[in-house]
Amino acid sequence: MIGALPPMPALAVALSEAALGHFLTTGAILFVLGLIGFVTRRNLIVMFLCTEMMFQGVVVSLIAFSVYHGNVTGQTFVIFVLTIAAAEAALALGLVVMLFRRRRTLDAEAWATLHD
Amino acid sequence: MPITLDNPLAIYFAVVAGALGLWLMMPKARQTYRVAGGVIAAAGLGLLWLGTYAALDFADLGLSTTAFVYQYIFSAIGIGSAALVITATKPVHSALWFVLVVLASAGLFLTLSAEFMAFAMVIIYGGAILVTYMFVIMLAANAGGPNDPGEDEVFDIRARTPGAAIAAGFLLLAVLLTLSFDATRAPNPAAAAAPDAVIIEEILPNRTAAAVRARIDAEIADVNPTTDAFIHQADPDRLSNVEVVGLDLFMAHPLGIELAGIILLVSLIGAVVIAKTRVEDHPEPRPSGAPHPADQAATAEASA
Repeated sequence: MIGALPPMPALAVALSEAALGHFLTTGAILFVLGLIGFVTRRNLIVMFLCTEMMFQGVVVSLIAFSVYHGNVTGQTFVIFVLTIAAAEAALALGLVVMLFRRRRTLDAEAWATLHD
Repeated sequence: MPITLDNPLAIYFAVVAGALGLWLMMPKARQTYRVAGGVIAAAGLGLLWLGTYAALDFADLGLSTTAFVYQYIFSAIGIGSAALVITATKPVHSALWFVLVVLASAGLFLTLSAEFMAFAMVIIYGGAILVTYMFVIMLAANAGGPNDPGEDEVFDIRARTPGAAIAAGFLLLAVLLTLSFDATRAPNPAAAAAPDAVIIEEILPNRTAAAVRARIDAEIADVNPTTDAFIHQADPDRLSNVEVVGLDLFMAHPLGIELAGIILLVSLIGAVVIAKTRVEDHPEPRPSGAPHPADQAATAEASA
């Protein structure tokens, strides 16, 4: 479909600004909790779980903004976020299993010094 | 005096209470006050919602009051589970609480009438990604014998620099919340999307009201009459959420779909390469002195 794009569909609901603030609050809290978890936890698996939680916060904000602006692209973008999350989970978990087999521990501190 | 959003003190108090509560909940070397911390953090969330409740105009909310009440419930479940994800001492518990976070955010999407995203979340996150995490937790657990009581690992029950991380994180949160409730922000510009009737006429010419009704009739010919009446309430002149998302995805973002496919292919190849990397199963003990033979081999390979 080259050339002028056809008109994009609108969404059924349009949030008010105060209601948008509530959804953004939830998204921000989820993101920040994931951030704190990524920094504080020392278990490699839980650290990657926390990155997924940051994705969740971003997704909540994206969909709330999509409904607020009546523009569906925010929801479409979530599909790409899900793609990246799936790819990241596959690679990260493969790495975690490999690292675990080297040192027999999931402690991230065991890899604090990168000798040789 | 009611707390208004012009006065962000409520946000700051709520953020401090949340930070204190989360710090108490964090697994620490000495004592962990999980219940007290949870109560304080919940009080902070309640204070935040009470402070922002004053600015709500229920007549002009944009979604039904019921949906907005459900938003509070799902948000509370999601935030509480998220706090438990990062404070649980067993990785399995973290993963299970994360499933609840996913389900709660799917509920939030339902209140926003984003049905497709809600179910995609449950299927992809709850169904696929979390099961992968569960498998890795099982694969990488230090499985003891049958008499092993299953002690927590020391790196799971000691958080790393919880105070600094929580201070930095909640500072970020305070900034985000102040901005998202900023009363002086410009109002919403008129949405520039086309009405559904234009889309249907231009892109989906076969989707007339009569055709949709005929299809519904053909599909539910032998369903009981109550369902029949319910389905006939559906408005054939409006696009459903799945249709809207599908149209936008395939008409406006064809390149994005191709790139997503390439990313998935690359990560597939990467995962295969990682899985084929040979690591011998009983390597050196943890405080590593001498370089590992596999590392030496890798270094030799890299320099060759």
